[in-house]
Amino acid sequence: MREALAMAELALSTNETPVGCIFVHQNTIIGRGMNATNASYNGTRHAEFIAISDIFSSTDPEGKKKYGSKVLKECDLYVTVEPCIMCASLLRQFGIRRVFFGAGNEKFGGCGGVLNVHVANGATELQGEGGDGEDGAEKGGERKRHEDDYEVSGGWLREEAILLLRRFYVQENGRAPEPRRRGKEERVVKMDVEPLVEGKKKGG
Amino acid sequence: MTRETKGKETCTNAKAVPDATPKGILVPLKTTLETRARGSLLDVYVTSVPVKQASGALEVIRRLLPGDGGVDLQHLRRFAKARDVPDAVREAFERARVEVLGATELLLIVGSTNAISSAVVAEELSVIVNDAVIFSIQVPRLAPTSQEQATLWSSQYWPTVYKKSNPFGPHPSIVSRTEQEIHGEVGKWMDLASEVARQADGTGSGETVGVVIVERKNGIGHPVAVAGDARWVGWPSKGAGNVTAHAALRAIAMVADGVKATSESAQTFNAVSASVTQPEFKADPADQDHFDLSGTVAGYLCHDLEIYCTHEPCVMCSMAILHSRFGKVIFQYRMPKTGGMCADGDLGHGLFWRKELNWTLLAWQWIRSSNGQSFELADFHA
Repeated sequence: MREALAMAELALSTNETPVGCIFVHQNTIIGRGMNATNASYNGTRHAEFIAISDIFSSTDPEGKKKYGSKVLKECDLYVTVEPCIMCASLLRQFGIRRVFFGAGNEKFGGCGGVLNVHVANGATELQGEGGDGEDGAEKGGERKRHEDDYEVSGGWLREEAILLLRRFYVQENGRAPEPRRRGKEERVVKMDVEPLVEGKKKGG
Repeated sequence: MTRETKGKETCTNAKAVPDATPKGILVPLKTTLETRARGSLLDVYVTSVPVKQASGALEVIRRLLPGDGGVDLQHLRRFAKARDVPDAVREAFERARVEVLGATELLLIVGSTNAISSAVVAEELSVIVNDAVIFSIQVPRLAPTSQEQATLWSSQYWPTVYKKSNPFGPHPSIVSRTEQEIHGEVGKWMDLASEVARQADGTGSGETVGVVIVERKNGIGHPVAVAGDARWVGWPSKGAGNVTAHAALRAIAMVADGVKATSESAQTFNAVSASVTQPEFKADPADQDHFDLSGTVAGYLCHDLEIYCTHEPCVMCSMAILHSRFGKVIFQYRMPKTGGMCADGDLGHGLFWRKELNWTLLAWQWIRSSNGQSFELADFHA
């Protein structure tokens, strides 16, 4: 997680949303990524995509690809913020083994925040009441494991991840579309992070 | 749920059709809220208060349950007179008090029974009302979408208000206006997407999936990126392939990289064939110097562009479309097992319009009316 946070710091220093990640294969970091949506003008260049590109483009001294197409099935991801729905699906389709994240992501989260893509591709169980029908995020309990489901564990170095995000959001994102900007001028970084409410923690 | 297009049909009489633009109909997708929980009910506590104490009682409740405990009750009248509620509600009251509701009393919705216990409510209300009677009834959980529905619900459950809007999705007038704007061109862009899809399959680059991104200026669409699936390029042709090379992601990257085809089809096709063979992984997504920011409508990502897809995008690509701030998505084939856009597929995500996400767009399935060539559908992620 420290390594992932270092990537997020790097993102912050280059005016990107501070999210960083690393992929670990057999105790070795084989890919690093940080959010690059602003530099690339591409809203899909999230840290996970950058790191996966990094993995599959790395070559050995003879110029051959270092990692086979199935390497992610033996990898764990450490990421400072819960993967968004897009990245959660990316990871699922590549067959990631496990995901550890810092801060939850209530806006876009694909591993509990909004959808549970890591479990049954987020399929909503239509039987039963299931709360509001809005989020089924915290039903916990045992579920049937589906192929390509992966383990998720959140809250790791969460405070640091949140503080990085807050430092970013007090800056102005000059490229954000007009209607979504309001009242950033007076924002200051709040330094206290509310503790994680029990039951909000995403279990594996 | 799956429509038409099972198995392969062949293109029979393409030449007999004088107008080259294929015809079809646009079917607006339903949102998650429109498809789910429409008739669902909510248990709420109701109490009676003397008219004179009504506002005081409501104040107590607002303090006790700020924001009604997260449940939206805006479509229900908060207070109701005895004669305005259905018999069932009056009977529930009389069971609780063994007395008829007085003319100077009002019934008041306290809140969801999940949000609070009746004992707490009774205690808090005791400063206003002595021995408040609290009972529970069922009310519609979500707002009605027509006056008829509101009237029906008012007679069945509780006085319900229709607010002349669609709280569960895009406003119907916006959807129909946009359909007017695009419907004459959909066939053309879908043909182009199908063409590049066939190329992707024919060259072995990927699945038979194609995408066209269109920018609309003064009502006229111009293609700005065309991409086929490329998941097998440099990858073993089994399993999921290179997930980052799905057609939608590639097309979005092209817009970002400033790859702009002109509306001339010759040049478009050059761009197509060049892009299909282009390796997906670049060492560095640099090289944006030539990207003309003013070229896109708002200069931000794919803001308000249109994306035409042969297949319903997978969950990843659907969310990529949201992150890129597209204005419209139109696809031909539903992908019930893997698609992220439909709310009534197996996954039920309905990502194009969800209140909790910070972007919404309009979405349609396009159903080709002419006997065009259709693709065999499998369960892959498009």
